[in-house]
Amino acid sequence: MIVGNDFSLRERRAQEKRLRAVWANPSGWRYWTSVNNFQVGLWYASAAFAFMLFAGLLALIMRAQLAVPENDLISAGFYNQAFTLHGTVMMFLFAVPIFEAVAIFLLPPMLGARELPFPRLGAFGFWSFFLGGVFVCGSILFDSAPTSGWFMYPPLATKEPGYGADIWLLGLSFIEVASIAAAVEIIVGIMKCRAPGMRINLMPLFAWYLLVVAGMILFAFPPLIAGDILFEMERMFDWPFFDASRGGDPILWQHLFWIFGHPEVYIIFLPAIALMAMIVPTFAQRPIVGYPWIVLAAVGTGFISFGLWVHHMFATGLPQISLAFFSAASEAVAIPTGVQIFVFIATMLAGRVIFSVPMLFGIGGIAVFVIGGLTGVMVALAPFDWQAHDSYFIVAHLHYVLIGGMLFPIVAGIYYYYPLIDSKRLSNRLGKIAFWLMFAGFNVAFFPMHLTGLRGMPRRVFTYPAGIGWDWLNLVSTIGAYVFAASVLVVVYDVLRPKHRQPGGEINPWNAGTLEWISEPEENWGVRSIPIVESRYPLWDQKDLVRRINEGDFYLPDAEEGKREGLVTSVLDARPLQVLRVGGTSYVTIVSAASLGMVFVALTFHWWWTALVFGVAAFASILYWLWTGTSEIPEKPQKDVGLGLTLPIYASGPNSVGWWAMFITMVGDGTAFASLVFGYFFYWTIHGDFTGGLAGPGAFWPLLSLAFFAAAWGATVAARALNQGNRTDLARASLAAGCILTIAGSLAAFLGPWSHTMEPTAHVYAAIVWILVIWLLCHAAVGAVMQLYCLARSFAGRMTAEYDGDIRNVELYWHFLVLTAVVTLLVIGLFPKVL
Amino acid sequence: MSLIPRQIETFWTLFTAPVVWAVHFLVCYVGAAIYCAKQHELGFGFGVVRIGIGAATFAALAIILLAAWLSWRQWGFGAYAPPHDEPTRLDRNLLQGFSTLLLSGLSFVAVIYVAMPALFVTECLR
Amino acid sequence: MPILRARARPTGAAEKGGALTLASRRARNNGSQSGRRLCVAFLTVTSVPALGQASALDPAGAEASSIATLFWAMVVGGALLWLFVVSLMLYGIRRRRRVHDEWTAGRLIFWAGAVFPVVTLFLLLGYALWLMPQLRPWAPAQAAATLRIEVEGRQFWWRAVYHRPGDQPVVTANEIRLPVGERVEFTLTSSDVIHSFWIPPLGGKMDMIPGRTNRLSILATKPGTFRGPCAEFCGASHALMAFSAISMEPEAFRSWLAAEAGPARPQPSDGARLFVENGCGACHTIRGTAASGEVGPDLTHVGSRLMIGAGTLPNTEEAIARFIAEPDVVKPGSTMPPFRMLPETEIRAMAAYLKALQ
Repeated sequence: MIVGNDFSLRERRAQEKRLRAVWANPSGWRYWTSVNNFQVGLWYASAAFAFMLFAGLLALIMRAQLAVPENDLISAGFYNQAFTLHGTVMMFLFAVPIFEAVAIFLLPPMLGARELPFPRLGAFGFWSFFLGGVFVCGSILFDSAPTSGWFMYPPLATKEPGYGADIWLLGLSFIEVASIAAAVEIIVGIMKCRAPGMRINLMPLFAWYLLVVAGMILFAFPPLIAGDILFEMERMFDWPFFDASRGGDPILWQHLFWIFGHPEVYIIFLPAIALMAMIVPTFAQRPIVGYPWIVLAAVGTGFISFGLWVHHMFATGLPQISLAFFSAASEAVAIPTGVQIFVFIATMLAGRVIFSVPMLFGIGGIAVFVIGGLTGVMVALAPFDWQAHDSYFIVAHLHYVLIGGMLFPIVAGIYYYYPLIDSKRLSNRLGKIAFWLMFAGFNVAFFPMHLTGLRGMPRRVFTYPAGIGWDWLNLVSTIGAYVFAASVLVVVYDVLRPKHRQPGGEINPWNAGTLEWISEPEENWGVRSIPIVESRYPLWDQKDLVRRINEGDFYLPDAEEGKREGLVTSVLDARPLQVLRVGGTSYVTIVSAASLGMVFVALTFHWWWTALVFGVAAFASILYWLWTGTSEIPEKPQKDVGLGLTLPIYASGPNSVGWWAMFITMVGDGTAFASLVFGYFFYWTIHGDFTGGLAGPGAFWPLLSLAFFAAAWGATVAARALNQGNRTDLARASLAAGCILTIAGSLAAFLGPWSHTMEPTAHVYAAIVWILVIWLLCHAAVGAVMQLYCLARSFAGRMTAEYDGDIRNVELYWHFLVLTAVVTLLVIGLFPKVL
Repeated sequence: MSLIPRQIETFWTLFTAPVVWAVHFLVCYVGAAIYCAKQHELGFGFGVVRIGIGAATFAALAIILLAAWLSWRQWGFGAYAPPHDEPTRLDRNLLQGFSTLLLSGLSFVAVIYVAMPALFVTECLR
Repeated sequence: MPILRARARPTGAAEKGGALTLASRRARNNGSQSGRRLCVAFLTVTSVPALGQASALDPAGAEASSIATLFWAMVVGGALLWLFVVSLMLYGIRRRRRVHDEWTAGRLIFWAGAVFPVVTLFLLLGYALWLMPQLRPWAPAQAAATLRIEVEGRQFWWRAVYHRPGDQPVVTANEIRLPVGERVEFTLTSSDVIHSFWIPPLGGKMDMIPGRTNRLSILATKPGTFRGPCAEFCGASHALMAFSAISMEPEAFRSWLAAEAGPARPQPSDGARLFVENGCGACHTIRGTAASGEVGPDLTHVGSRLMIGAGTLPNTEEAIARFIAEPDVVKPGSTMPPFRMLPETEIRAMAAYLKALQ
């Protein structure tokens, strides 16, 4: 039995006033400096939707062009820009960000938390995404959008004239950084910031899915970033990574792209299904049946989706045995997906279903998705894919999967969650109209494409000849596409139309069971007090919960110190561990995102000096952000959080969320590094003599460098231990020594290829060695800055023996850095000798 | 079984079986790919690759079975029926156990799927 | 810089003809005088171009027919499954029905969601893995093939070389002929970007990748004319990169190949002279003449091909003339320079000369 805090009414009003003041949004134009999850989530979602409408418009133009054979409505050049941007924008600027948006918006209230652990990081991610997105989309207005397809296959894309491909590469790299930031935020938020008592067996299913998805992002996006680096080096400096005449190979890009690209499909699909997993129980009026099966489905899909990438390359002429492995895994992934669908059906059968617009979209979505899943099972078989690959059959398949598995559930989610935005519902009537238009329009547009494709029509053609059986099929598809577009317009109208006549103020209109439904749109604090959770559906099972939360009966009902606070809890059982103070409103997020964005823009157009200036600005603003906003020493070691519980305010090392964030970031970073190392060995496999007869970096310099890096790592670890043992002077000396050793190690690493005059434009061997060395040097530079940062923090009194979060995180970074150094230097120094 | 602690208080055991699947998948794919790229430098035939895949498969299946047994134990050998939604440490453990067991099952099947190509494909040529 | 171009208004005469070709429509937007004159002439062409059959569902080859059978089997199975899932959902949302207990619902997840897919997919996968080496039996095919056709993809056309043991290779372009009932091995390469070689009625596709040599083995079972498109996006005129594939009875094939191996027998004409004078031979080869360029397609027997411009235009004098005048309009992004500055009569003369190269 939980005992309440028992505040008087006056106390409660005073608490509310303080809380409101702490969590308030800035007004006027400063509103845009807000970092609150509700604001950032809404901006994120609105921007993603705007990009979606833009990409949809491009699709309509393409469908108009294909309505009749031999049409000349638009030129080949414009068509190619349109389909490239359509795919790019839908994938990178809509499908993935919309999930980040929904997660940022919904997760804190759903977990009973006030905020995600790194609100400023979330805001930074949004601004990066927004600026990058505008940059990429805007290119088409200047007729300089990329024209090589969203998959950017070299050598077509490496040879593409103009800036289109660079805009794609740099703009999207920037957005990928934002996605990884969101992944860090989501993983730490779900693992460490759940309400007390929300053990992992009580976690809302949405959180399970999102946890898996964020983990997938961590392993899926970095290979693409690695690919982008190689690609941009080839475009900017003519390093021959994908140029067959100098030892490169276009296939390497396909591997890196699809190692990202296939998990991405599930990164898109799982969050949408997560929305379904929230909607179905609400309208079936019962808890989900088969909760563990959902865990199976989410985790299983997450893993197996990494074994599918070659099914995009079935026609590239890889050995049959390789194709067969991927065929097998591609079939296996259908099993957890099947489980997923039947969990929803079982829940419906075991409950009484209230029919509603969200359910309509949900069920329609499943009906559509199942078709996509079944054609997916077909194309996963290599022999069938030899026919279907790159034909309109695939266009049909992927739209059935993505629209059925993602767009329909998202629209269901809009109709379901709209009351959380302004306490009003969307129109039932418009919703039904939208659904039937969407369902009919979609099927009319895309079903015929199965046939069009098998009748031999390849994808990405701007026109086609008359009289070979494709004419009427395409006309039908075009008509369907416009009906489909009309349905999207109805949804947009329904969301945007003024609703002030409508009665508002409904909290939890669907009688749902999960915590997000107690949040009131007019309050920014998330939850009035952080509850103790005892059920998967607390609003159904815990009597009086809403009243008690709102009366401040639980944890952290007040903001005495004027700080934004939440709780950190343990991973498995959600025991309260720490009071977490999160960052509030700040310019620093926009300034860093904008300067970093300008670096990418400047690089695109080869404005080196501008890039340098903004690089320095970005570096300075991020340092300022860290210095003023992280690892602050609190005014007192602990505080009373209510219900008789006192918790520490500061934590460092594995107990702190910052350490987790560093760990997760470095896992992503390590994945990108692993992709580059994969590249090195890939070149070794395709060539008899992969050095192309060139001298390597030798063994001396790499091994010397290795010794320096190992020593620098030792110095950093020692500095952490010395600092902890209160031997501050020695710790500082050790940090300084570490920094000097880092510089020495970097020099030695550089001298390896340099002293052997390895010319990176001459052959891919030299280029891949250089890229590994450059990767190491960049990380060493960051490592040295971190050592100096700790030194400065120590001198400034912001880092002490007790409050040592900074150096703990730096030590963790150095563990990864020394691993990077060992692998890089051994590979480039010794591997050629082993052969 | 004294090597394996009676109570495994960690989140990560959930991923044992899928990780085994992933490692098995990579071993099979990377092994076959390197063999096919370098077969002229290697002194053995494709049959050896198939045997290797078979051995890797047996090892993977054995580890998955072990993981499954452990999770079955964590699940109380099936003595408790789902949904495991009580706010207790016991139910949290049971859910972990049951989910891990299900994942072991999926991984078991998936490992078998991935090994099937070795039965049918007999050469590297493309 | 108008992004959207005005839609062409079809002329009545052309509509009646029914078979406007690609190029003719695009041509109407072209402002140049010679282009306009040429296309007026061209609009009179009304016969359906010999595009060939393009569907993977009307197989004429061993691989295509196995895959089509597999496809139809999967369609039937998939349709049944879909009906099952959808009717369960429709039943689920009915107001008046029994509420099933959680145990039964859990069994549904287990049997329908887990066990059924595991078994079905196991069987399907097993069948497909068994099928793969049957469809593309590389080692035996390599040993048995008496005919190897080397096809090189280029933006935006195909160079084909026929290799037979003991004979000189035969070079041609944009048309693949192969004998019915004999396995043919294809060697697929590319010299610029990635292309993909696909003859849907005969079998699946295979990419052509710079720096790599891919193989494909095809067994045609019926004679016919097929359309083979480029299946990997390869640039501006990807849509206009196709070839004709013709499967023939072995005897007919052999006599065709023998003829194809011989040099051209051009009549001395204005066209022949102009072809040389305008430097066409720097890029194109016409065996038996001075023209020996390697940049563009071999034109030795161009008059006998079904289509010109890599599956873009029907092989008529008018179309050839148009291609010479404005390849930049017919095929955006192609490397051939336009010759619209030449008098129409000269272009016509060259077209007549080329068409006569049977």
